[in-house]
Amino acid sequence: MNDAEDNVALDELGELGLVSYVDFVSREPFLYESGSEIPGFSLRYETYGHLNEAKSNVVLISHALTADHHCAGINSLQDRKPGWWNNMIGPGKPIDTNRFFVICSNCLGGCQGSTGPTSINPETGRPYQLEFPFVSIRDMVKAQKRLLDHLGVSKLHAVVGGSMGGMQVLQWAIEYPDLVERILPMATTSRQGSQAIAFNEVGRQAIMQDPEWMQGNYKENVGPRVGLAIARMMAHITYLSDKGMDMKFGRRRRSKNSDTNFSFDVDFEVESYLRYQGQSFINRFDANTYLYFTKALDYFDLEGQYGSLEKAFEGLQSKVLVIGFTSDWLFPPEGNREIVLAMLRAGKDASYAEIALDFGHDSFLVESPDLYELVRAFLDSD
Amino acid sequence: MKKASEKRSVDMQIISDWIEPGSRILDLGCGRGVMLDFLKQKKSVVGIGVDSDPSKILTGVKKGLTVYQGDIEAFLASFPDGFFDRVLCSRTLPELSQPSKIMNEALRVGRRLTIGFVNQGYWKSRFGMLFGGGRLINEVHPYEWHESRPSNPVSIKEFEEYCTKEKISIARKVYLAGDWKTPCHFRSNFFGGYALYDLAR
Repeated sequence: MNDAEDNVALDELGELGLVSYVDFVSREPFLYESGSEIPGFSLRYETYGHLNEAKSNVVLISHALTADHHCAGINSLQDRKPGWWNNMIGPGKPIDTNRFFVICSNCLGGCQGSTGPTSINPETGRPYQLEFPFVSIRDMVKAQKRLLDHLGVSKLHAVVGGSMGGMQVLQWAIEYPDLVERILPMATTSRQGSQAIAFNEVGRQAIMQDPEWMQGNYKENVGPRVGLAIARMMAHITYLSDKGMDMKFGRRRRSKNSDTNFSFDVDFEVESYLRYQGQSFINRFDANTYLYFTKALDYFDLEGQYGSLEKAFEGLQSKVLVIGFTSDWLFPPEGNREIVLAMLRAGKDASYAEIALDFGHDSFLVESPDLYELVRAFLDSD
Repeated sequence: MKKASEKRSVDMQIISDWIEPGSRILDLGCGRGVMLDFLKQKKSVVGIGVDSDPSKILTGVKKGLTVYQGDIEAFLASFPDGFFDRVLCSRTLPELSQPSKIMNEALRVGRRLTIGFVNQGYWKSRFGMLFGGGRLINEVHPYEWHESRPSNPVSIKEFEEYCTKEKISIARKVYLAGDWKTPCHFRSNFFGGYALYDLAR
C-alpha cells in the first residue's frame, strides 16, 4: 500500500483514521473473585470521540475472547487491517464517535498490554505465567471500573459487546446498576453451556499437551505454538457455520486442478484458511492468556452464581436490548432469548431482536445493515 | 390513509378505556407498536410487545418500546400465572395457528385478555362472497389472497359460541359498525364490522 492510497482511505467519511492506545496503571491492590490478590495492574485502552461536559456520552465496548482494546481506526499507516469493530464504530457509524465518547479496554489477564500471565510478578521479578490468579468475567469488569473512575466517568450511556464481551456487558449491569443506562449484549449467554466448555477444553488440551508449553513456563517468543494454533483452528470453526463456510470455501481447492491429489498437504481452501488463522493467531496471542480467558468463559454462570437468572437481574436499572443471530450455534439464539425472558420476569425493560445471518457466532462482527439499524436505534432510545 | 388511522383510533380508545393506569400489558402481535406507544402515553402502562417480524421489532426499538422478537406460544410459556394485568390480542387472532391454545395461555399469564377482530359475519363479507365471489379487502386485511399470510377469519357468532363452550367469561364487549367507529347494537353478527372483548377466566 502506498501513501497516496492511505490518504484516500483516511479521507473517507466515517473512518477514525489514526488512533493510539493509553495505559492506565492502578497501584491499588486488586482482589480477585478467587480470593487471590495482586498489588496493582495496568489496562491498555483506546478512546474515540470526545467526552462531553456532562460526561454523559460514554459508550463502553467490551471485547470478546481474542480481541483487544483496538476496536476501531488504525494504529499506524502500515496497519493492514483496522480495529476489530471498525465497521460499527466511527464518525457517522452506528456507534457514532461524533456523538459518543467510546472507550474500549483490554481485559485484565490479557496479552495485549494489560496485566496478564506474561507480565512481571513484582514479588518474584519473573513473569506470572501460571501464578497469575484465575480471572473471572466479574474481575475483568471490576478492573475496568477502576479505569472509568480514573477517567472521571460515572455514567455509561451504554455498554456494548458480543460473545465474551456480552458476558461482561451483563456483568456491568448487575455489578453497577446505577452506572449503566443501557446494555446491548449480543451473541452471548448467561451461562456457558456444556458444548462450549467442551470446545474450550479441547483447545486447552491442545496447548497443554504441546511439550513446548512446559507447564506454562515457556519463554517469550517461544511456547506451545503448535498447540495454540490448533486451539485457534478448532475454535474458529465454532465461530462460523456450516452454510457460511460452504458459501465461503465450498470444496474449492488451492490448486487449479480440482482432481483428487491424495495428499496430506494443504489441499482444500478451508484447510488453508484455518492454517492461516492458526499461524496468524500465534503471533499475536499468548497461550496462557488463552487458558485463563477460556476458563473465565467456562466459569461464567449467572444462574449458578446468583441462584437464578431472575435474582441475578433483580437490581438491574439499565434499558436492555439483546441481539441473537440465527446461525450462531456456539451461543445460540435460545440462550440470548433466555436472558431477556428472565429480565422480563424480573420486571425489567428488556427487548430481544434476532438477526438472520449465515455467518455463525461471528455474525455480530460482519457488515449488516439490520444490525447497524438496531444498534443505532437502541443507542438513540430514551 | 386518513380513513385507516381514524378507524384505528376508535378501537385503541376503547381498549385504552378498559385499561387501569400503570398496569402491566402484553401485546401479542404488536406490529409497529402503535397500540403500545398509545397506551404508554395515555395510561402509563408497562408494556411488552411480541412480534415475529424483525422490521416491526426494529420500529419498536426506534420508538423506545420494550419488544420481543419471537414466537408467541413460546413466549407465553415462559411466564408464570397472572404475571400480566392484561394481554392484548388486537387484530392478531385470525393469524394465530392455534387460537384456542394461545387464548388459554393468554388467560393463564394475564388476568384479563382483550381481543379485537374484524367480524367475518359482517354483511359485506357475506355479500361479497355471495355475489362478488371473493373476499372483502379492508384495513386489517388489506391484501389479496396471493399476497397475504394464512388467515383464519372468525365471526362474532363463532367467537361467542366458543367462549360459552370454554366457560370464558366476557366481562365487556363492544361491537362497531362497518365504519369501525359507530357502536352497533342491532344484529351485531350481521351489521357489526368489528368486535372488541374483554375476557377473563
